[in-house]
Amino acid sequence: MSKILMKGNEAVGEAAIRAGCLHFFGYPITPQSEVPEYLARRLPEVGGVFVQAESEVAASNMIYGAAGVGVRVLTTSSSPGISLMAEALSYIAACELPVVLVNMMRAGPGLGGILPAQGDYLQATKGTAHGDFHLIVLAPSSVQEAVNLVMRAFELAENYRNPVMVIGDGMIGQMMEPVEFPEPAVGKPLDPGDWALTGCKDRPRRIVNSLYLDPEACNRHNFKLTAKWQRITEAEQRSESVYLDEPCDILLTSFGMTYRICKTAADELRAEGIKVGLFRPITLAPFPYQACRAAADRAGRILDVEMNMGQMLEDVKLAVQGTKSIDFLGTAGGVVPSPEDVAKKIREVLGSAPAKNASPKPAPQKKRKDKERA
Amino acid sequence: MTAKRLQLTETICSQKLHMIVGNYGSGKTEVAVNLALALARAGRRVSIADLDVVNPYFRCREARVLMEEAGVRVVVPSGAQSFSELPIVLPEIRALLRPAPDEVSLFDVGGDPVGAKLLSSLVEPLGDTPYQLWQVINSRRPFTDTVEGCLRMRDGIEEASRLKVTGFIANSHLVTETTLEVIQEGIRMGREVSRRSGLPLVFYTAMQEFADSPQLAGEEVPLFVMRRIMLPPWIRRTDAQPQPAGRAVPLGRRTGA
Repeated sequence: MSKILMKGNEAVGEAAIRAGCLHFFGYPITPQSEVPEYLARRLPEVGGVFVQAESEVAASNMIYGAAGVGVRVLTTSSSPGISLMAEALSYIAACELPVVLVNMMRAGPGLGGILPAQGDYLQATKGTAHGDFHLIVLAPSSVQEAVNLVMRAFELAENYRNPVMVIGDGMIGQMMEPVEFPEPAVGKPLDPGDWALTGCKDRPRRIVNSLYLDPEACNRHNFKLTAKWQRITEAEQRSESVYLDEPCDILLTSFGMTYRICKTAADELRAEGIKVGLFRPITLAPFPYQACRAAADRAGRILDVEMNMGQMLEDVKLAVQGTKSIDFLGTAGGVVPSPEDVAKKIREVLGSAPAKNASPKPAPQKKRKDKERA
Repeated sequence: MTAKRLQLTETICSQKLHMIVGNYGSGKTEVAVNLALALARAGRRVSIADLDVVNPYFRCREARVLMEEAGVRVVVPSGAQSFSELPIVLPEIRALLRPAPDEVSLFDVGGDPVGAKLLSSLVEPLGDTPYQLWQVINSRRPFTDTVEGCLRMRDGIEEASRLKVTGFIANSHLVTETTLEVIQEGIRMGREVSRRSGLPLVFYTAMQEFADSPQLAGEEVPLFVMRRIMLPPWIRRTDAQPQPAGRAVPLGRRTGA
């Protein structure tokens, strides 16, 4: 099919429909409101259900219920709205229900602002809510990849019966890029397996519940969830490494849209002869530690770039295990780093002057050694 | 032989007040900003008002510095308010409804009927002042990829704005992946929309790299050649045209008081 121009948020909505998801419960919040807006228009056309809930708390419990009866279901929100969904997500994970949620992150903390940010990395990957559970977290860096990952998210959610989050910053929700949707247009119906509440006529009752008063039973359930996460960790890590065929002077680590900015900076510096490599996780959870370490092994040093105050940086440090020196460039509040900002930081940490001639100069003596060092 | 060019002074300056509407993603802002810059280059006094209350990002206020340096008067909310999605209508907007004799006003209106709704608050102050309300159409956007879709969009915009669309602008594109075929498809759809509605297809657009395509040479409708102004932070301008000093202010950076 021919390409069409879509806003990231619209593309997310269409991708869900193409994946066979006909149920959406959510609440509008900038910068992701075009997802509910688009689905409010599209879902009735395809026989689906769109409900604008009274709040994110309600929406998250509606997806809990919908997943419990075995239908494919989506909710989307942005940072403060995701915080409101935390409790239900813990219940959903405990009950091993397949749901997909999308977080188009905005500036925080608190009410913050409506501009793009990446400040929910730790929330998504480590501390979504109470109890021992993990979300699978996927981070696209283009509208087309958002389409592909939303469709993939439903497969992962159903294969592992685990909630999956697709996480982008507000920019990917708001920007327009050409996309095409893979065929077939509609996915298979969800397999209700031996768990979905589909009516117990002629079969034993099923219960979807996360209450375990018996400590041994709750202990066993935690071990079961942990074993599942181990399987996910072994099978589902995805990442992209670029310009690492030969050793590089510096490796840029980033995710989502920040990767696009790093790529532009890397291309420009490489044209000047500075060897810049790139690594980005596509699965933020499970984080591709080995791939990150392998990329780091090709590099002289590392610069981590994020639109937050250094969240993925913790995972990069865990991957690198102190073998390389790591610098950090971060912005927040909706300030997006420019390729110039990234290039300037690279020159600073490499101690090279802007290339007027090809030969690298010795490091300029600067008095700010301790500043911004990771 | 090259495509017939839009005669700015004839087409644009015969009317002083121009409002650009359409569905979001049609490219209204890119068209409005390019028109403002072209008029300024042609020596006209031109004001542009950012009336986009729909899009939270990628609005014409992000090209404010670039336009001001080119001599365009830019009317947008200032300071922190410019980063909000609040429906702010500045008092200066009303003054722009009555441009001075040697002045042209451009309104970059928010997308869809919901964005055009804002115009309905200007109907009374507008009174009998003549205006042009141009609907930008992009055949590669959902909901306006057919003639019927474009006409439905027009009906919605007219109902919400209480104003009448007076013409169409064919702006079919896929941003960086636009091809000549996409542009030609847009002209064909625009002509059909024009025939069905009885309203003119005022012009079509193409970026500089397509301006001299011989395939566009026989086209009756004039071409308005544009440059990419509204770029995301990671894409560089690659066109060879002379650029005004300064550049679009990156998202989230202050655009001045």
